[in-house]
Amino acid sequence: MRRLPANFLLGALLVSLVVGIAALSLVWTPHDPQTMSISTKFAPPSAIHWLGTDQLGRDVVAQLMAAARNSMTVALVAVLLGGSVGVALGLLASALGGWIEDGVMRLADLGFAFPALLFAIMLAAVFGPSLTNAVLAISFINIPIFARVTRASANQIWTRDYVTAARAAGRGRFAISRDHILPNIAAAIIVQATIEFAVAILAEAALSYLGLGAQPPASSWGRMLSEAQTLMYLAPQLAIYPGLCIVTAVLGFGLLGDGLRDITDPRLVRAR
Amino acid sequence: MIELAKLSAHFGDATALRDADLVIRQGDRLGIVGESGSGKTMLALCLMGMAPDSARLTGRLSIDGRDMASASERDWQQLRSRKVAMVFQEPMSALNPLRRVGDTVMEPMLLHEGLSRSAARARTLSLFEEVGIPDPEHRLRQFPHEMSGGQRQRVLIALALACNPALLIADEPTTALDANVALRITDLLQRLARERNMALVFISHDLAAVARATQDIVVMYGGDMVERGPTAKVLSAPQHPYTKGLLGARPDPAMAGRDANGKRRRLPTIPGSVPPLHGLPKGCRFSGRCPVELPQCALRRPAFTQTEASRGAACHLLSEGRHD
Amino acid sequence: MAYFLFRRTLGFVLTLLAVSVVVFAVMNVLPGDPALTILGMDASDDALAALREQLGLNEPVVTRYLSWVWNALQGDFGLSHSFRVPVAELIAERLPMTISLAVAGMLVTLVLALSLGITAAAQHRRAGDWGVMFLSQLGIAVPAFWLSILLVMLFAVKLRWLPPGGFAGWSDPLAALRSLILPTVALALVQSAVLARVTRSSALEVMRQDFVRTARASGLSRRRVLWRHVLPNALVPIVTIVGMQFAALVTGTIVIENVFYLPGLGRLIFQSIANRDLPTVQALVMLFAAIVVTANFVVDLLYVVIDPRLKARA
Repeated sequence: MRRLPANFLLGALLVSLVVGIAALSLVWTPHDPQTMSISTKFAPPSAIHWLGTDQLGRDVVAQLMAAARNSMTVALVAVLLGGSVGVALGLLASALGGWIEDGVMRLADLGFAFPALLFAIMLAAVFGPSLTNAVLAISFINIPIFARVTRASANQIWTRDYVTAARAAGRGRFAISRDHILPNIAAAIIVQATIEFAVAILAEAALSYLGLGAQPPASSWGRMLSEAQTLMYLAPQLAIYPGLCIVTAVLGFGLLGDGLRDITDPRLVRAR
Repeated sequence: MIELAKLSAHFGDATALRDADLVIRQGDRLGIVGESGSGKTMLALCLMGMAPDSARLTGRLSIDGRDMASASERDWQQLRSRKVAMVFQEPMSALNPLRRVGDTVMEPMLLHEGLSRSAARARTLSLFEEVGIPDPEHRLRQFPHEMSGGQRQRVLIALALACNPALLIADEPTTALDANVALRITDLLQRLARERNMALVFISHDLAAVARATQDIVVMYGGDMVERGPTAKVLSAPQHPYTKGLLGARPDPAMAGRDANGKRRRLPTIPGSVPPLHGLPKGCRFSGRCPVELPQCALRRPAFTQTEASRGAACHLLSEGRHD
Repeated sequence: MAYFLFRRTLGFVLTLLAVSVVVFAVMNVLPGDPALTILGMDASDDALAALREQLGLNEPVVTRYLSWVWNALQGDFGLSHSFRVPVAELIAERLPMTISLAVAGMLVTLVLALSLGITAAAQHRRAGDWGVMFLSQLGIAVPAFWLSILLVMLFAVKLRWLPPGGFAGWSDPLAALRSLILPTVALALVQSAVLARVTRSSALEVMRQDFVRTARASGLSRRRVLWRHVLPNALVPIVTIVGMQFAALVTGTIVIENVFYLPGLGRLIFQSIANRDLPTVQALVMLFAAIVVTANFVVDLLYVVIDPRLKARA
């Protein structure tokens, strides 16, 4: 009987929780996250406000949910964008080989010199802070990561017999990349994407905390923490909830990615 | 000096080594022969206290009168390298790649005997000469990757001898080497045992090497010791069906060509293969593959029958007086 | 060996150049008109023209880039708009702070991660291993800034043992040290999570190798085998990861400085963003990127020094 690894199960659970809540927020939240009511600021948890209210009387749960939605969206776009470009580059490099491969990988390596934060800082200084800039910055650093993984995996597939057979039959490299290489490296890419999803959530939170991400009035866990920091002496609980959400989301995707890797790792599969 | 009495290594229900009886005295040169899975490596590891943690040992294992069957890791660390030492199979990866070989060999000396660096170095140099490493001064300072397989094996032998052990166990020392080098290593081990009056346990499936280097031999199959005796006698007149099969399976140029009917002569082999650890037969472990099997072989374990002074085999045919 | 060094150094220099091109392009070419960005939409045309002249914006892009690089190599990073002093001065002022934090953070990280990782490997499949694995998974998921806030809430607000932020200056070394404790801990805890896992898997990989068995057969104690034989061999892949960690270290330092209001380069960057002080931001981004690239270069060379097998091949 096949037993799924514990980290996969736990990760899937946490991810479903977070994504579910984020999706739910599209149609329903207990209150409008942006409705302010100064008279009820800093309210403790109650039946009306399950986790209380913040310094402007806004419902905390609603804000957390809206922030979850924003976080998931940013991560999704960034990983899809950066991932597509990265995978394309990796496939290109692997298929063409030679100095093109070296050149492309060198270019991709440039991305490693720029942590997402530095890139976001540059964009923010020039264009002003915005969510779009944050997404672009995070996408940018995903490109070299996916390019590397794709190229390494693709290089291995190119040496396989059925690919050699296809080449002998005269199929072009583009067709081979699409029909043979891509499906076989899909597992590795998906694992990487899941892990990068976790990284993206963390990056978005950090950027928002520093004011370089989602701008008010849009909700963001990072910004909620930054606001809560100034209120540490008044309402310490406000600093706890957003952090817990971030940890849950990142842990969930991280465990899921690890679990997926364990499941799809050819060495472990053979042992089963 | 070293005594094993009914030593067994259990892994759950399976037994990798069953009721091993052995006495090794100073200066003995013993060969242990068998296929992979015969338990010979397990036996060697037990002699070093390096059986896997999941193995449960029963029986008696005493070294110089001290019972080590249930000894702790600490106790074993006292004996390793000083009383018993081992040379393993793969010389290529058995040395720390980041250390110069001289330092590796000196380490046990500095640690166990508290020698000064210069004294250790001097002894290492003489060891290198003893094991036949040319230009030892230069070699001392080399890294493993700068040496060939044969040279690394010699370094490993020198390492094993670093603290003048009373017993040297060589587990397949020549398997990973080519024939020429293998021969020289075999002769080296034999010479070392003689010159140092050191006990040598030579484990191999290479019957020729064992024939060269040892005085006595033990044949193992499926964790059991099936035959033992002086090397020359056992190899020339084997008593156990397995030993006979083993010897018959050696390539022999005289057997090439065609027989009286013009048919190509085939290399005689033992039919079947060694069953996995948990699938070994209940009675004699060789049953199911034995060409002269009796009905009771599959049901009852044969007792060890001593046919001569220090010779015998575990086979029903012998115990019932029917042998050829 | 010399050829290897030459190739690596060449690669290093080229990467630095490429990075400088990217930085310059993003900050000078993309926005269209830096003068507009700096002075804002309401600025008069004369003011804009004057600024453009002053900044040399009327020159061709390539010339501007080359003069920027040329000046930067001599230590001239231009003038800060908001502070009205040479950027180089600002950097020199705040550099000690950032370096102290980064170095302290890295040291604590190394000590923590290496010992935890090795211990976890030695305790493979037992309680210690699972514990370290779980903690490290958590450490990766916890944002550094949230951890900082939690630490501040515990140690500064509740217990009042340490200051919640800010920096009193170097004149009082004890106070300076106290200001650095929480930031260093926050930085190190998050960084060591990743490194501990890498150390563990590297150590496990090494422990499977034959020479470990040889060492044990020589009568060496388990501890000696672990620290004297396993660890040095496990370091080889770890060193690579440490190099890659520099990007995280740079990010972490910037974030932590902002969380704790430490007067270092990280704070400077954000003040400059708020002030739309482009030359300063440009210089700082270039500096940080250069640090990351240099760290990777050094790691590449270190690799060869540590492993004699690579030295032979080089």
